[in-house]
Amino acid sequence: MPRIRNTIRELRAAREMTQQQLADRIDLTRQTVIAIEGDKYSPSLETAFRIAQVFGVPLEQVFQYEGKGKR
Amino acid sequence: MPSLSYQEKSLYGELLADLAVFVPYFIFIHTPQQLTVSFIAGAIVVLILARVLLQAVIAMVTRNRLQDERDRLIRLRGYRAGYLTILGEMLFGTAALWLHTMLGQLNPAHMALHFFSVFVAILMLAEVVKTVTQIIAYRRPL
Repeated sequence: MPRIRNTIRELRAAREMTQQQLADRIDLTRQTVIAIEGDKYSPSLETAFRIAQVFGVPLEQVFQYEGKGKR
Repeated sequence: MPSLSYQEKSLYGELLADLAVFVPYFIFIHTPQQLTVSFIAGAIVVLILARVLLQAVIAMVTRNRLQDERDRLIRLRGYRAGYLTILGEMLFGTAALWLHTMLGQLNPAHMALHFFSVFVAILMLAEVVKTVTQIIAYRRPL
């Protein structure tokens, strides 16, 4: 199970933004946006920050780590 | 039917070209009269032409040819799988050649040609493993 969850779909819906529009703004393919939204791919830190920047919210509002703190 | 990115379409094109050349190659290479340098070289040339043609068609029909970090990660995974395949097959292929030579089943005069054909087969299989690994990675969580 993925440990990093995200709220991209909700944030996108609130702004009436399509997956393609988001993908274009952060230089990703639409397929990668779909994978991130479906928790099938954890983006790089840089991409995560860029996504948060597009929505104008803090990073932790977009991505939530659900691990148990084990190393 | 899921939508495919340019990279995925490109991979399916690669696989199609590979199989179109490799399947007949592996069928006909077992017939002794086909084990010639020109047959093996011909297969390689046909493969290159088929790949170039298919990639050109895919590039023409695909508007967005962007490549992102996920594509690069998947490509690396594919190359890793291909490399491991080459390693494994090199060991197996060398051992098989040695065994056949020891048993006297190989004509020493044709040894170089056998080595060449085994080497080409190893590369072909590794290429298929690389491409299939990448195709699967696009459909699985990373």
